Parts: sequence; C-alpha cells; structure tokens
Amino acid sequence: MRRLLFAVLVFAGCRPSDRPAVGPPQRIVSLLPSFTEILFAIGAGDRLVGRTTWCDYPPAARDVPSVGDGMPPNIEAVAARKPDLVVLYNSGPNVTAAQQLERLGIQTVLLELNRLEDLGPATRRLGQLTGLGHAADSLAAAMDSLSARPPPTPTTSIAFVVWDNPPIIIGRGSYLHQLAALAGARNVFDDIAAPSAQVSLETIAARNPQWIAVLADSTETPSFAKRPEWRSVHAVRDGRFLLLPGTLFGRPGPRSAAAVRELRARLSR
Amino acid sequence: MKWTLLIAIAIVAFAASVVFGPAAVPLSELARSDIVWNLRAPRAVLAFLVGGSLGVAGAALQALVRNPLADPFLLGLSGGAGLGAVSAIALHLTGPWALPLAAFVGALAALGLVYRLGLIGGAGGALDPRILLLGGVAVGAFAAAITTAIVSLADAAELRNAFLWLWGGLSAASWQAVLLVALYVPVPLLVLVAAARPLDLLALGEEPARYLGADVDVVKRRVYVAASLLTAAAVAVSGVIGFVGLVVPHIARLTWGHRHRALLPAAFLGGGALLAFADTLARTVVAPRELPVGVVTALIGVPVFAFLLRRWSIA
Repeated sequence: MRRLLFAVLVFAGCRPSDRPAVGPPQRIVSLLPSFTEILFAIGAGDRLVGRTTWCDYPPAARDVPSVGDGMPPNIEAVAARKPDLVVLYNSGPNVTAAQQLERLGIQTVLLELNRLEDLGPATRRLGQLTGLGHAADSLAAAMDSLSARPPPTPTTSIAFVVWDNPPIIIGRGSYLHQLAALAGARNVFDDIAAPSAQVSLETIAARNPQWIAVLADSTETPSFAKRPEWRSVHAVRDGRFLLLPGTLFGRPGPRSAAAVRELRARLSR
Repeated sequence: MKWTLLIAIAIVAFAASVVFGPAAVPLSELARSDIVWNLRAPRAVLAFLVGGSLGVAGAALQALVRNPLADPFLLGLSGGAGLGAVSAIALHLTGPWALPLAAFVGALAALGLVYRLGLIGGAGGALDPRILLLGGVAVGAFAAAITTAIVSLADAAELRNAFLWLWGGLSAASWQAVLLVALYVPVPLLVLVAAARPLDLLALGEEPARYLGADVDVVKRRVYVAASLLTAAAVAVSGVIGFVGLVVPHIARLTWGHRHRALLPAAFLGGGALLAFADTLARTVVAPRELPVGVVTALIGVPVFAFLLRRWSIA
C-alpha cells in the first residue's frame, strides 16, 4: 500500500519536462539569434532543427528551417519540428509559450540575455543541456572576461538613436551602452538607467554627442538626417553617423568582442 | 474678465513652453540659443496651433453631431492617419516628409469615406450626423484592423515604432512645419468661425434651425469638412493627441455658454494653452526623459473637467 502511494506521488510529481532524458537533446529549436549563434559556437549547430527568421548567423544557420519570427513563438510551427529542447529568451510572452510547449511534452529552457554579463551563464547552461560543457565553458570564460573588462577612458561620445519621432535613445541598461563603453565611447545618456527611453530632441542637441549611432542594415544615412529639426544636433548636421549592422551589433553573443573591436575601429576613423 | 484671464493663461503657457525645457539655457541667452530658437520655439508655436485646432475642431464636431462625446478623432481620422503612416513605412517610402504626408493622405481618405457614408443616411445631399458618427467609428476600426495586420505581417522592425508616432507628440516640430500649419489652418478655422451663427441654431435641432433660416445641409457639410481638415493637419504633424479636442470645448462651453462666436475662439486659445502647457510638462518633469504628451493632456484635462462638471451640476 505504502509502495503504491509512493508510486502515485512520484507519478504526480512528474511533469513531462522532468522525464529522465535518455541523452542530451538531439533536436533543438532556438528562438533567439543569440542562442543560435551560441549553439553553433559550442558545436551544437547540427542539432538545430528550428530557428527564427532573424537567425542569420553563422551562414549555416540559414539552412535550418525557420519557425517564424518568434514574437511571440508560433507553438504549432515549433512543435511540428518535433524538438526535444526549445531554447527561449526569458520574456512574458515566451513564458506562456514555454508552458504550452511543456504541456506538449517538449522540454524548454528560458534564459536571460540582455547584457554582456548574461552571456557566460547562458552559454554554460546551454553547454550543460547539450552535453557540450567543455566547449561551452571555454567560450563562456572568454565572454566573462569581456564583460569583466574595465572600460577604457572614453575618448569620444555617442548617442544611440533607436527611433527619430519621438526620439528614443539607448540608456545605461542596454547592451549597446556596454559595447560603446568597451569601445571607448561615452554614451551621453548614461544617466538613464533604462535600456531605452524617449527623450526630447533638445536634450540630444544640448548633450551634443560626437557620433549618432543607428542600428541599420543599409549604408544610407537615415532619413531623419534631412529633417530640419534634427539639424540642430551637431553630429547630424556634420553627418557623423555610425550605421551599425544589426546582425553584428544588435545582439549579445559569441561575436560581441568582434563588435567591440569593429566599433572601436569605426570610432577612430 | 473671462477673456482677460484666458488670454493671460494662453500667454503664460506659451512663454513657459519657450523658457522651460530639459536643456538648461540661461534666461540671458534665451534669444541667442540655437536650441531655443530652432527646437523649442517652433515646438511651442506648433503645440499652440495644433492644440487650438483640436479645440475648435472638437467644439464644431460636438455641435454638428450633437453628441458631447464627439472628439476630433472619433470620426475615423486617427485610424486613417495611422494606416497612412504604417503603409508609408511598410512600402519603404523614405524621405524626411514621407510619414506626415502619408498620414495626412490617410486622414483625408478616411474623411472622404466617412463623408460618403454620411450622405447615405440623409436624402438629397444632407449629412446624417448619426450615420456620420457610426460611419466614423466603423471606418476607424476598419483602418486600425488593416494597420494591425500590416504591422504583424510585415517584418520591418521599424513598424512597431510607427505606433509610437501615432500616439502623438511634437518632436517633429520645426519652423518648416510651423509655416505649413500656419498657412493651412486659418482657412478651415475661418470657415468654422463664419459658421458660428448656424452652429448655434443647429444646437436647437435640425428642424428648428431650418425654420430659423439656416441652410442646414450646407452648414453640416462645411463644418464636417473644415473640422476634419483641421484634424487631419494636426494628426499629420503631431500624431493623435487625445483629450484636447474633447475636454477643451466642454470647458469653454461651461464658461462661455453655447454661443459659437465666443465658444470657438475660446476653444482655440484654451486648446492652444493646454497643449503648450502639457508639452512643457512632458518635456521637463521627467527630464532627461520625455513623457508622451497625450498622457499629460489627459492628466491635466480630465481633473479640470471633472471639477467643472461638478460645479456645473451643483449650479
């Protein structure tokens, strides 16, 4: 009787995700470009069976079938890939999506990935899950040393403009702020704790950054550069724009150190 | 006395919005500062013109549809403008003026559609105010649905930000924008002021107005088109700024009564003052960050309105 009760309790305590895994997952869906890059970097790229439309690096990632833009995840499209692990970014809609996937018996993992210091832990966790701990640990160590690196004394100043009307800029809470600091540029909005915020144009003009950085995949200066009100900002008037490709600069990942180097090179040009 | 007070409030609100801002500019350098001259001053003027236009448009539309809930954006214009703006982004129309122009065209399209619907109800070229209201809500909802479909289907990341623009704000103020608005708004404004007497009669009901000699059908068409043209310009330069066009006409009516000759100018000054003041607060209270100005107009407008309603119902 007691044994039966025990068995019932054990059974009740078992949610599908707690099933003992037979081995490391072999069919992984990644729902964030950063995770896709990390999985490829630690040698789990050949186990990817699904990615988002944004996952464009490394080039081999494009051969993996897309399950949509992942905002929010299309549960059916993900489940149709028959994954045994789905890696999601930890956000409100994704928590709901993860619960639904778990209900279908699919193991999920929700990881933080907002700033440089999140990279090491996320990489280690992906290493544990995939049984590729060794490769993951050495990548994570390099990432940790990047995020722990004391930023150099800034030699120039920068404002990241996310949107022009209303003007939205990047604050101290963002990954881009960290990139700029490591590349030797002071974010003129380092007093704003949030990752991004709406500000007045006159604040941008008054703080007078030497560079206006824009995440853009084209090499054309953004159209707001021609707007009369923006010409009160010196860097705009002088055409001092940094057009940063989103695939390299828009996400923390294994290439963050390369992004810092590239930004530093562009700032000194 | 009422007029002196209103004019004083308007002047103070305008002056404050030039003097105060997130960038610290000493008073002595106010006139020479590039920031004040090229960013703050045009923004203050634009806020005043847009707020005033919304106030007048709201007052005229409330009289036209004889519904206290009428607001310049109720008649589908915000939906049309939003669809125009989002389409411009989705179609990759670049250029510094693409967005406001597309929003203006979208608002005009909505205006035309609602106008056409409004004519269905009335016989012989008469606009039916009830159909106008329902048609406006329907066209607005339809445009909003298409807008949302475009935003969720297209993969341009900028599209999400189009909504930010639509929520309203005066960030795009420049002397060029001021010049355009200053050349444009006097025409519909004058049309509405000229219709002040028939609007008074219309408030009595369409039949009495007709007996008292108003050419009701012409007045309704003229008022609808003029008020909508004012709103279309406002939405093109500053997105959808709520509450000014709803609350200011009511406050003006509670203070000046129902005579449109006084009501419309009061709504212009009041709307201008409210938006200039609200924008000053939006720029300064959380500096260096900025609040969406529609939030501030609601936070100021609604309590003032509630206070006046209470006094009014006691009286």
